[in-house]
Amino acid sequence: MASRNFGFMERYDQRVSRLADQAERYVYTDPESCLFKLRLMVETMARTLIELQAPQLVDSDLSTMLRALERSQLLSRKHADQMHAIRRDGNSAVHGDPTPSPTAMRRLHDAHRLSGWYCRTVKRGAKVELHAFEPPPRAKDSLKNKAQWAKGEALETSIEEQRRRTREALLLFGEDEDIDAIAGTLIEELRGWDDIAIAAGEPLIDAEFVALVMAMDIEKLLEHPRFGVPSQEAHAQAEAQFDLVRGELEAKEAAYRTQRRNLAQDQAEDA
Amino acid sequence: MTDAAMKSQVELATTWFLAARTMAVADGNVPKVKEAAAGLYARAILELPEEVCVAAKNQQNIGSLRVEDCLAAVRTLPRPLGEKIMTGVMMIAYANREMHPLEVRWASMLASAIELSEEDFQRCCVGARVIATMLNPSSEDAD
Repeated sequence: MASRNFGFMERYDQRVSRLADQAERYVYTDPESCLFKLRLMVETMARTLIELQAPQLVDSDLSTMLRALERSQLLSRKHADQMHAIRRDGNSAVHGDPTPSPTAMRRLHDAHRLSGWYCRTVKRGAKVELHAFEPPPRAKDSLKNKAQWAKGEALETSIEEQRRRTREALLLFGEDEDIDAIAGTLIEELRGWDDIAIAAGEPLIDAEFVALVMAMDIEKLLEHPRFGVPSQEAHAQAEAQFDLVRGELEAKEAAYRTQRRNLAQDQAEDA
Repeated sequence: MTDAAMKSQVELATTWFLAARTMAVADGNVPKVKEAAAGLYARAILELPEEVCVAAKNQQNIGSLRVEDCLAAVRTLPRPLGEKIMTGVMMIAYANREMHPLEVRWASMLASAIELSEEDFQRCCVGARVIATMLNPSSEDAD
């Protein structure tokens, strides 16, 4: 029987539809396989989109393809976040991390959110009728199963909230901000200041120097007789500082994986 | 962190994000894509914690602020922090490897508010180029 959540995709992309269908079937019985199928689904989607947008990147890894799609603005922030979540959790599953079913269910829901947009993108003008996501039915729950599911849900909610804050801290604009309106206000004000500065004869930065630095190969800059040493120092210092932050972000992800693994193991022992 | 320290850090983060946003939109291309470089710069180079960066972007904090508020704030910053703001803003300007006249104006206004000499500005500029390459490798293959 065709999946209620993903059956509609059959008309647009049979391979993606089949992967989503398989993921849905595994969500309770084998959450790792569910995530593996979802990751493959997202990779297939990304490859199809990159063939339209930047075919030279078609053999790149998933992360590179997603970044290219974001830069080309084909992929919105929201869809990119959903695809990255599936990529990340799918990678964990591939590497053997036990996964609680609620984690797989959250990513399945993300895949459903992506599916309508994806079909509309690959078949421009298509009228895609997307039903609300319905968790696939499962055998009647015991009280114990319900409690375990609730624990998994609580963990996922907490991880999503922490990831949201991390993302919010890193972005230039908040998720709920009207970027166009803010940009319009800032540009209007800047134009006003520009007019005043021109009238007052205010000096400008040395744009020729800026252009020169911009055009130089980074290797040449690092070897430059005048700028070389400060550049190398700035490079080394900045690299160390960025490594610290990246280390902190990786440690957080590692902690999420540990929490999920512990929960999945507890549940396996209880079963 | 004490309340006073938190307040001071949120002020710095607010100044940074306002300066960075102004540069990011000055060429008329509103960045639709995720622009994590600004946040990474805040976390790594300005050494601001996650909660401070989130608080700075709270609508009640940053929503009503204008370009002139940013200029007033950078004038009060200690010199090393002012230079870091200038470097970060130039890093954003380098992202697409060209500078629009309003980007040049914004960089000039900031340099003037921080009272940077030509040599100081050049140092910030070179540092910005180095960091832009580290954070945004795509700028290297933009051609």
